[in-house]
Amino acid sequence: MTDFAAVLRRLADGGVEFILVGGAAATAHGSARLTQDIDVVYRRSSENIARLVSALKAHTPYLRGAPPGLPFQWNARTIELGLNFTLTTDLGDVDLLGEIVGGGTYDDLLPYAVNIRVFGIECHCLGLERLIHVKRAAGRIKDLEAIAELQAILEQRSEEEQR
Amino acid sequence: MIEAYKRDIDRTLIRENLKLSVEERFLKLMALQRFADELRRAGREARTRG
Repeated sequence: MTDFAAVLRRLADGGVEFILVGGAAATAHGSARLTQDIDVVYRRSSENIARLVSALKAHTPYLRGAPPGLPFQWNARTIELGLNFTLTTDLGDVDLLGEIVGGGTYDDLLPYAVNIRVFGIECHCLGLERLIHVKRAAGRIKDLEAIAELQAILEQRSEEEQR
Repeated sequence: MIEAYKRDIDRTLIRENLKLSVEERFLKLMALQRFADELRRAGREARTRG
């Protein structure tokens, strides 16, 4: 199980610049679908990478699905040399994304983010319309049902706003 | 194609979720994860016994 509250708290307390995306963002918008991990797009600046490394260091990040014993080192150089990381941690599964298809980088996504307050933490979450856009752009069959649900949420919201 | 999937979306679940706060939605998700984990564990146990 992923401890969403703990992951968000570590990132926020560590001053990491990130935007919640993926299934957890869908949950924030009202999705009823089960998601197992937390996906965040992080800013690719040296300062932010240092903060990200420090925030998760105590939680033994490791490449998800990789055999044990690989020489994976959780440090700024590793993050700088890579881009997107699917990790296991002792807080649960965390996907750290430098860039996403159809959405781009943290700076590209920031204008489409909304602020949410959850577990006493203020953080950025990708807005519903943009979340639908990036899921469509990803073009994955497995996302079709999720996109349909997000569009239904969008319709429900606008119906409620009109009342 | 999305329209076809939309016909099967349970809008009652959406309406109920939209009544919750963001925090309550996450708490519900974590409870669902715990339930799914428990079902997986029970399934593994049943296969071992069988």
